[in-house]
Amino acid sequence: MSLDKKTEVVHQPVPRVDGLDKVTGQAVYTVDVDLPGMLYGAVLRSPFPHARITAVDKSKALKVSGVKAVVTGEDFPFTFGTIIRDQPFLAIDKVRYVGEPVVAVAAESEGAAFEALEKIEVRYEELPAVFDPREGLKDGAPLIHETLAQYARVNVEIVPGTNIATLYTYGHGDVRQGFAESDEIFEDDFFVHPVAHTPMEPHGAVALYRSLSGEYTIWTCTDRPYHVAREFANGLGVPLHRVRFISNYTGGGFGGKGALVAETVAVALARFTSGRPVKVVFSRPEELTASHTRHASYIRLKTGVKRDGTLWARRAEVVWDNGAYSVLGPNVARRGTITIFGPYRIPHIELVSRLVYTNKEISGAYRGFGTTQMTWACEVQMDIIAERLGIDPLEIRLKNAYVEGDDYINGQVLHGVGLKDTLEKASQEIEWAGRKPGPKGRTFRGKGIATTIKGTATPTDSSCFVKIDSDGTVTLLCSSVEVGAGQKTVLSQIAAETMGVPLSFIAMPHPDTSITPYDYAVASSRTTYHMGNAIRVAGQKARKRILDLAAETLKTDPSDLSMSEGKIFKKGAGEQMTLKALLNKRFGAKGGAILEEGYYSPEDSLLLAAWPGLRGMSSIFWMFATHAAEVEVDTETGVVRVLKIAAAHDVGKPINPIGCEQQIEGAAIMGLSNTLYEEFKMDQGRILNDTLADYKVASFCDVPEIVPIIVESEHREGPFGAKGIGEPAAAPTAPAIANAIFDAVGIRIRDLPITPEKVLAALRENGKTPSLLIPLPDGREGKGERDRT
Amino acid sequence: MKRSVEIEINQEIVRVEVEPWTTLLELLRETLHLTGTKEGCGQGDCGACTVLVNGEPLNACLMLAVDAHRSRVTTIEGLAKDGKLHPLQKSFIERGAFQCGFCTPAMILSAKALLDQKPKAGAEEIKQSLSGVLCRCGSYPKILEAVRAVSKGTKDESR
Repeated sequence: MSLDKKTEVVHQPVPRVDGLDKVTGQAVYTVDVDLPGMLYGAVLRSPFPHARITAVDKSKALKVSGVKAVVTGEDFPFTFGTIIRDQPFLAIDKVRYVGEPVVAVAAESEGAAFEALEKIEVRYEELPAVFDPREGLKDGAPLIHETLAQYARVNVEIVPGTNIATLYTYGHGDVRQGFAESDEIFEDDFFVHPVAHTPMEPHGAVALYRSLSGEYTIWTCTDRPYHVAREFANGLGVPLHRVRFISNYTGGGFGGKGALVAETVAVALARFTSGRPVKVVFSRPEELTASHTRHASYIRLKTGVKRDGTLWARRAEVVWDNGAYSVLGPNVARRGTITIFGPYRIPHIELVSRLVYTNKEISGAYRGFGTTQMTWACEVQMDIIAERLGIDPLEIRLKNAYVEGDDYINGQVLHGVGLKDTLEKASQEIEWAGRKPGPKGRTFRGKGIATTIKGTATPTDSSCFVKIDSDGTVTLLCSSVEVGAGQKTVLSQIAAETMGVPLSFIAMPHPDTSITPYDYAVASSRTTYHMGNAIRVAGQKARKRILDLAAETLKTDPSDLSMSEGKIFKKGAGEQMTLKALLNKRFGAKGGAILEEGYYSPEDSLLLAAWPGLRGMSSIFWMFATHAAEVEVDTETGVVRVLKIAAAHDVGKPINPIGCEQQIEGAAIMGLSNTLYEEFKMDQGRILNDTLADYKVASFCDVPEIVPIIVESEHREGPFGAKGIGEPAAAPTAPAIANAIFDAVGIRIRDLPITPEKVLAALRENGKTPSLLIPLPDGREGKGERDRT
Repeated sequence: MKRSVEIEINQEIVRVEVEPWTTLLELLRETLHLTGTKEGCGQGDCGACTVLVNGEPLNACLMLAVDAHRSRVTTIEGLAKDGKLHPLQKSFIERGAFQCGFCTPAMILSAKALLDQKPKAGAEEIKQSLSGVLCRCGSYPKILEAVRAVSKGTKDESR
């Protein structure tokens, strides 16, 4: 579409439409849902990382006054899983991590429920456990899922008889030849730690079961209502129409609400409470230890380069820590891992990725979906390469960076590539070329840069209805949840612009799978692009219906009419009537509505063309970003203070520039927090720091100056030129900080997080950090994908 | 044994019987259905439950309802007056100073407590005063801008 036409509502920094609800306390979240007869649920969780359940005695718990149900995995013996159906609603026979739900209680009050938990007796027989995925790969390691091969699964290569939940390989070119032709070879090991999503609203759900009709209704905070509804229906073996997921405002997700979490417990209880709804809300310790984390990741990266800095060959071995159950891990281990090749042209590449079960909290989707981990390794090594070759870190990136029309690693021709602009603008903002100030006493300053590439899950579908009432109100019926990123605002802007009505005409209720149509998910930075396109389709149809109706009424040709600001205009004759007057005339006192549907999938887009058999790796759009950081390192305490982050993001054309700034600032802060402050302290699979006093996330005073910079590449199929923005800003923050630390004091940190202890230890070693020496097992080759050029 | 308390909540006198262990947060959310006050941790770490007690910002999860007897409590529901938003509420909307919104009531009330004392508070004072409320969305820069806009504004704006 042409981007030249002047827009009225999109590309404008309009205030968010959910503002009034949120500043007045009227926004209802799942934790606020209160229903007649509602009971409270609580969960007894496993104290062991790996154990067999030998006996459960719930008789005393049942006698506690106010207790209505006590449910075990034996009572509710169902399992679920997005890709591998490996997870029970409540533990069956075995527990696989500390914190796994074992017995659930529903009672008239929270107090009664907690009292009952204390009276449940569970006997366990402990089993040897696996806490490190590299150990889990070894021959003879304890098996966490003995029947892995028998689980139902979708499109994933597991290794039967092992702890490997996913084996994924990819190659292109010939790495052996590539390394032979290289002037220098770099081999480095990296580690990325798990972190907690830490949404301020913990996981929660309210479930209601109507036994006569067999219907389940679930009030949920998930960001993918259709997916979890289907997963749930499959798990229970009930038809989808018996399962209804109702969304509310969601108090932050960051990927952590993309799966069934509190819902499973609430449903298992509701099945036994004779029609009374059950509410389950996780405590903060439960949220931190028994929801999901970012996947920990061990990365061995071997890169061959030419003397002039041209990247020539790369082999990557990645071991992902899956935790006890898979959720979306297999997709992280595939789609996430390929970003290890960065936004760079490399002729010879090879990748082996393994996702390995451990007896730990479940790893789930985390903002960036594996990209934060891969960007860490890729970008720290880029600086190592630049240093050894004596090339400026910015120059080596510019030299290898993708440009419009380059082939991606599967042969997809890249479109909408604003990467170089992000590199140039971010570096200019921190005066990259300028001299760095000298040390002030014991503090040293430095600057660092890092860049990233992120695609979106492709192809995925979005659909919507547009309903126009006789007073001109336009209601968007779609299943995009407002998780906080401004989904309602952006989609309302697209609808208003497409139809030619003011933003104030648009209403967008929360999703309800019994009413709003299918959408893949609010995930993968996809909503603006995919649902935005679906809404454009529906909006264009509705607009045509209105103009046809107006032409009939005004006795003129529809092609002479247009609609803007909710008013009908005639070419050369000005305003004719308002939309409201037109609809009044059409429907009169009896009322009525105009309904249109919209559907979008990029499935047939020519932009996805790739080398034979590899179209599945294409992304309908690619996001690029560069962060440049300036830091100060205190050489006596090891404390790193980030002074400034310049964050340049290629978002296509921003639908709402304020919304883009929010995403960039917010994700940069999250990235900084992950990098410098957050770390689980573990002991034998138990998380010791399970409160926000001990698990530190960035607070107001930790935030440096952040300069969000929006780079606008042209994307010809995006709605009004938009791509996406939700995820990428978390990824380049960590390596930009690490590279700035090197610039300041000459030490390389390869394993996250960057703590004062690590900085001091490295300084003591006089700039030489001890090698990480990660003993990755030899690559067991999978079938995998391989290009056929 | 239940105790009877009398609390002025959002300029309305509330008389209610509470258990000695009932927190102010439980009273507000569960008994009075004022769910604009959020619970993020229940341990005094996240600040999401911040309300004003006699004008001071406090974590409602750490205060017993009986201790609020004869106090003046302001929650987010009490901020807009006569159908008009408080200047901070307006400024938060205009500057995009929220994302998921879960910490927003606490941020606004913390800012109000500061500006009621120091109408022209500067950036550092604002950061310090609001640092007891965590925002995982990372709206801090825009929140600072929104509060700054009010503290820089005309004299009556912060009331």
